[in-house]
Amino acid sequence: MDKNKFVFVDKQEIEEEAYRKSLTYWQDAWRRLKKHKLAMIGLVGVIAIVLIGIFGPMLTQFSYSDQVNDYKNLPPRLDLYQVDDDTFIYLSGDYFLFSVTEKGVLVKRLELPQENKDIINKVYTYILDGEPVILDFSYNLLPGKKGYDYDFTLEYKGNVTHDVYKTVLNKIYPFGTDSLGRDMLTRTMYGARISLIVAFVATLVNFIIGVTYGALAGYEGGRKDNIMMRIVDIINSIPLVLYVILLMVMLGNQGLWTIIIALGSVYWVGMARLVRGQMLALKEQEFVLAARTLGVSKKKIIMRHLIPNAMGPIIVSMTMMIPSAVFTESFLSFIGLGVSAPMASWGTLANNALSGLITYPYQLFYPALAIAITMLAFNFLGDGLRDALDPRLRKG
Amino acid sequence: MKNYFIKRLIYAVFTILLIATITFFLMHSIPGGPFTRERPVPDEIMKTLNEKYHLDDPLIVQYFDYMKGLLTFDLGPSYSKIGTDVEELIIAGFPASAKIGVLATIMIIIIGIPIGMISALKQNKPVDYMVMFFATLGVTVPSFVVATLIIYFFAGKLGWLPTFGLNSPLSYIGPVIALSGYSLSFVARLTRSSMLEILRQDYIRTARANGLKERSVIAKHAMKNALIPVVTYIGPMIAAILTGSFVIERIFAIPGIGRYFVESVTNRDYTTILGMTVFYAAFYVIMVLLVDVAYALIDPRIRFGKGSK
Repeated sequence: MDKNKFVFVDKQEIEEEAYRKSLTYWQDAWRRLKKHKLAMIGLVGVIAIVLIGIFGPMLTQFSYSDQVNDYKNLPPRLDLYQVDDDTFIYLSGDYFLFSVTEKGVLVKRLELPQENKDIINKVYTYILDGEPVILDFSYNLLPGKKGYDYDFTLEYKGNVTHDVYKTVLNKIYPFGTDSLGRDMLTRTMYGARISLIVAFVATLVNFIIGVTYGALAGYEGGRKDNIMMRIVDIINSIPLVLYVILLMVMLGNQGLWTIIIALGSVYWVGMARLVRGQMLALKEQEFVLAARTLGVSKKKIIMRHLIPNAMGPIIVSMTMMIPSAVFTESFLSFIGLGVSAPMASWGTLANNALSGLITYPYQLFYPALAIAITMLAFNFLGDGLRDALDPRLRKG
Repeated sequence: MKNYFIKRLIYAVFTILLIATITFFLMHSIPGGPFTRERPVPDEIMKTLNEKYHLDDPLIVQYFDYMKGLLTFDLGPSYSKIGTDVEELIIAGFPASAKIGVLATIMIIIIGIPIGMISALKQNKPVDYMVMFFATLGVTVPSFVVATLIIYFFAGKLGWLPTFGLNSPLSYIGPVIALSGYSLSFVARLTRSSMLEILRQDYIRTARANGLKERSVIAKHAMKNALIPVVTYIGPMIAAILTGSFVIERIFAIPGIGRYFVESVTNRDYTTILGMTVFYAAFYVIMVLLVDVAYALIDPRIRFGKGSK
């Protein structure tokens, strides 16, 4: 072979390559997590959702339970009708008229005296600033609508209109209001708070029970381990949602704690299995033998040596547990086992929206979107963490 | 093999009995009887009711009565639907629930696995991105939202599908999509990731190096092993379909067991909750048993490894 084909490697270059700052396990994991684009998006999302849950409800001018009777079922986007030079009217789904500015700020609901409601001819006469506003929605009564291509007309000071002038965003209620006139924006953010409290506390309870149980079973081994894991197998052999429902029924509805206890006392079995597996592998290693030889107590070996070494998979599993707790919580609220009114979680919000879905779909849209975004953010973060904390993927 | 089967069967029966016991005592530990109302019931009526439903017997006697009934599939009377037994509700609701459940399972298998495979084979191509987009959406949007959206658009706005019941073939579409959505997406993601991992294995490279056709590498060598994690998901999948049916049947107003169960939870109808929980648990345990046995028949590693523990 031709000698010229070989080139001497520059020694300096290699040495520079080989020199790297020593990183701890967590620094290394963080370094790798930062490179994972989706995981960072997830992390930012999670932080944003948590901040919104904590501070969001404080920043709006309404509280989650404030009911404004006049402003029921108002959508986030208002179709305005121009009835006078600078008078704009919004017609709601249940035949209420609202005076709105051109920018989309609600002024008031128009008065409709009972005697002005002509239900038979379908003509309602509202009062705006002392002048009548006549809503005639009798066109659908006419056979074949007699060629009219609109369903109603509005008449004010002699002007008749039936065309949407323009569609504006609702400035006072950006997410609209629900069937009791409560602000959906506040309630969705408040729902974030409730859903996240439930998810975080339930996950924490799972963490404590699961890690303790799994660590004991794994470390003790032998018959104790066998019995403990059989119990886990039995709990695991029926759908966990059933237990949660049973517990919820049994505990009765006592607010937030019921659902946290129900979720926390059931979902630890997965964590226990995971930790036990880790313990079985770790306890055979030399550093545990060394600790034992030095006479370190069992408790200390588990707390100081074993659990910290198993922290990677535990954290990944916790990150995945939070969205599934949000999911389960919303599922339970949806079948009527959630937090009680006027408290709201995303599940109860979605459930409340169900009855008026066809007319007010926006009431379902925002809580559903919130659930989906939370699920996505936590799942992205969890996936990224799994890659970052997996020692097998460690390079250099 | 026979030993394995017998062992699993005994274990399953034991589990069902244990669950029935736990559920029974849980339900009876709730303060107040089933007939406690806000307005007090006259003592006379209360006494007659208690006698009729044997609620005046000691708890342990009630327990053995219940267990005896369980062996003959007699789950006792429902407290809120007067004159109906719990097993009658189950029998009435089972066909509708089973039809939806079986169709959803078929959908998951015949759509979820192939799209996962395709996505893995076309990694980082538009098809892959599209599949993963929808699969991610599928696991992040709750089934009740999917169901309501289907009703809103396809039944309400477009009028293509009926909004409730199971009276025409078209009416199955909505419930089946909503019920299978989550598991289908999950299976697709699982198949994709396990297929990608298998394709990186040495034996696949060896098979290719030996000059096997690509089709045979995929079909004979990769696919079989890639499906193992998917098969282990069958248990959770059955659970997901069972519990998913609670909301789906409620939203689409399907007269299935899931709806009766949710109704009984809302009405605090304790015997129905008890009976249905035991039924669900037994059904689930038996299904998982069947899957495991079939699995052990196919894959000898399970029999002597994980399963025989």
